[in-house]
Amino acid sequence: MARRRFLDLDHLTFRLTIGALAGIAFFFLIFPTVIVLLTSFTSTASLRFPPPGYSLRWYAALLDAHQMQQAALNSFKVAIAATVISVLLGTSGALAIGSSTAGWAKILDSIFMSPLLLPALAFGFATLLYFSLVGVPLSLTTLVLGHVAVCVPFVLRTTIASLAQLDPALLDASLSLGAGPIFTFRRVTLPLIGRGIAAGAFLAFMASFDNVPVSLFLTDARTEVLPIHLWQIIDTDLDVRTAAASGVLIVATVVLMVAAERFAGLSKQLH
Amino acid sequence: MTAAPAANGPEWRLLLPLGAFFVLFFAAPLVVLLLVSFSDGLALNAFSLAHYAKFLGDSFSLSILIDTLLLGVKATAVCLLFGLPLAWVCVHASPRLRSLLLFLVILPILTSVVVRTFAWIVILGQQGILNKAFLSLGLIDSPLRLLFSEVGVVMVLAQVQMPLMVLPLITTLQRIDPNLAEASRALGAGHWRTFRRVILPLWLPGLVAGCILVFAACTTAFVTQTLIGGARLVYMPLYIYQQAAGANNWPFAAAMSVLLMISVLLVVYLLNLLGRTRAVPRHG
Amino acid sequence: MSGRLGRRDLLKAGAAVGTLALLPRRAAAADPLVVATFPGTWNEAHRDVLAPYFRKKTGADVTQTILLATDEVAKLEAARGKPPFDVAIMDEGPLLDAVKAGVIDKYPVDKSPNYKDLVPAFQEPWGPKISLQVIGIGFNPKKIKERPKSWNDLFNPAYKGRVGLTALNSTLGMAFMVDLAKTRGGSESDIEPAFKALKELLPSVGAISANLGAHAALFQQEQIDIAPYNFNFVQTLKEKGVDIDFATLETGIPAWRTSLHLVKNAVQPDLAVQYIDAHLAPDLQEDLERAPYWVIPTNRKVPLKGEIVKQVAKSQDDLAKLKYQDWPKINEHRSEWIERFNRDIKL
Repeated sequence: MARRRFLDLDHLTFRLTIGALAGIAFFFLIFPTVIVLLTSFTSTASLRFPPPGYSLRWYAALLDAHQMQQAALNSFKVAIAATVISVLLGTSGALAIGSSTAGWAKILDSIFMSPLLLPALAFGFATLLYFSLVGVPLSLTTLVLGHVAVCVPFVLRTTIASLAQLDPALLDASLSLGAGPIFTFRRVTLPLIGRGIAAGAFLAFMASFDNVPVSLFLTDARTEVLPIHLWQIIDTDLDVRTAAASGVLIVATVVLMVAAERFAGLSKQLH
Repeated sequence: MTAAPAANGPEWRLLLPLGAFFVLFFAAPLVVLLLVSFSDGLALNAFSLAHYAKFLGDSFSLSILIDTLLLGVKATAVCLLFGLPLAWVCVHASPRLRSLLLFLVILPILTSVVVRTFAWIVILGQQGILNKAFLSLGLIDSPLRLLFSEVGVVMVLAQVQMPLMVLPLITTLQRIDPNLAEASRALGAGHWRTFRRVILPLWLPGLVAGCILVFAACTTAFVTQTLIGGARLVYMPLYIYQQAAGANNWPFAAAMSVLLMISVLLVVYLLNLLGRTRAVPRHG
Repeated sequence: MSGRLGRRDLLKAGAAVGTLALLPRRAAAADPLVVATFPGTWNEAHRDVLAPYFRKKTGADVTQTILLATDEVAKLEAARGKPPFDVAIMDEGPLLDAVKAGVIDKYPVDKSPNYKDLVPAFQEPWGPKISLQVIGIGFNPKKIKERPKSWNDLFNPAYKGRVGLTALNSTLGMAFMVDLAKTRGGSESDIEPAFKALKELLPSVGAISANLGAHAALFQQEQIDIAPYNFNFVQTLKEKGVDIDFATLETGIPAWRTSLHLVKNAVQPDLAVQYIDAHLAPDLQEDLERAPYWVIPTNRKVPLKGEIVKQVAKSQDDLAKLKYQDWPKINEHRSEWIERFNRDIKL
């Protein structure tokens, strides 16, 4: 009898601690995003929470924010281009690495994933120095090239994971039935790892769209991207339009995430 | 004869595009960075260690580097403290709740860091909600200075990078055989004991992975450090940016970038070692 | 089956859009003119008044990048062949650096019809002065009942933890330090008294902003209640409903002139000159001389009025009598002082 009560107390404290800490963590994970959304509907020009009144005026103001729209367009173009290149490079790289168990493969895997570990700011600066040395002026193209380096690891990771779940028997079957390697790739491998690639592409797109450290060095006033523009405004002004812009970004991210979940099973790819 | 599947080495032809890109646009810039840090400028004429000496010999600069690394450690610790229970709950929740929880965990990573940090500015101010809540709960007498303080920066960093900790934790926890915990408890060990002696050691690879990702992200988190830290809390990213973009002092900034990279990689390496020596062998 | 086709189609579509995005942009109808502007009131005034005025006159759009003058010089030096913006805005100190660095062109006076209407003191071969900025003490009248009179009020122990400062890379910060030094026996060559005072003040400081715009945020979020501040910025914040007021210094009003410049190798030099000229036009300057901007005009045809007359000067002649600082002397030590300040304030 006494033994059971001892165990219950132990179990109780365990569950309470875990539950409390997890609860706090969840709350703080979501809380700021909710605050931004609510603040964006304020009727005044200041960022007080709770807002003294509610209105859509700041979202309406976004329609006049030509510079912000141009920056968003730039971000979008760069993200699409970076994602396409990342998918092409990442998929071929993943096929090479994923299909081999040699030590080389593991080393290459670490090398190609290293952009995620190195301080992106240092890499951004390094890329600026590189292009300056070679004499290439900054443009959206150089920005895309800088972004691809930090976006490709996402495609690589999810595609390799997808390949790992691919049953080699299927490939053998296809080959033994007379199909060539390219045909096998197109009709057997690609459809099966399609979801992995799509998840990686989605992550790469978001990584490029939201990127700050590389964009900080590779953009200037003529090639403004949205995160830098927003940061500049926030750092210098605390304009409520940034809250509205944030609201739009949050909604867009949620929508894209739901789509990614439906078409690529995103959450399953990430764990 | 159909081509035999590559069994010994990676398919070189498939590797070429990615490899070429990496050499041209990842390795080459880093090499240039290194070269510039040892020279006088883009002309790359003189060879000198002057910039490294200037940084390492200056207590102000060194303190910035150390503060940055410490910041990473503190934020990682907070992430770990809250990330472990979070991951635990995600894994042990019912399937439907789990998808929702996962969605909530992943969403922050995908939202722009500028947006997330901006939210905290609204929350942490003297008149912000956090202070108002603490005041009304009677926990404090006068508003805390959270914005522009290291506590604030650590807090925001931990929240912003939390998903990077939680995802590897979830992945690893899911792979641990639940029978092991059952067995441990059946043998009489309490929940806490089971957690400490059975779960944690097996969970270690996930912890290490999460810590590495979070530490790397926190030390280089330019936006969060500057927006929440303000002008008085200077960390390496801002310092590098000030020297590179503000003072056009490229060689010095390059030296600082190299030092930052080396420090971060060193810590990552140490964390990896820690993981490997403490890890429990899976079989036998 | 259809799902799989859907994904591949998506990939193909993405590839198409991606390649389109990479194609060099054909020179569109009119690329916007890219200009630099200061944070705070300036950024708002230029965005909300000057840009529409300019678009009406020339049909061209403007992209404005918010920078401090010192950062502008750095960026222009870093990219001489293709400068990131065509119009620079400078305060007196950084202007000397810009001229020395050779990053701006002499102003083509013959292409600028409004130039001749400027008060002679504001005509300058390197670029016309578009306004005057004066500093004083910004304070929250709800929290600070006694109107501040001099820099010494910042040191009042009653305001501990509520004092704000700004970094020396902005003219506000530098002008403040120099004036503080002068009120305590120093000069433009020696601001040691100011650094000594800074050490005294630091424990009282609530926050130090990295630049002017952030300074506004500090007042708005009530992180600070009293700080050295620009006349214009205080007015703008007041209009936004922030509790703030401007107190003129009894020791004399420090002032400096702000000007616009044509950048060397500008991508659209003619448009740039038209932009600068637009800022000199009497109707525009009159439009800026009201809430919430209160930009002090430099065109002879625009009389001083409103808040400017109340708090700064009654006429152009009075403007000439404000406390101007010796920027060539200040410039000799500027970077050294900036670095020292950054070290002294670090927590």
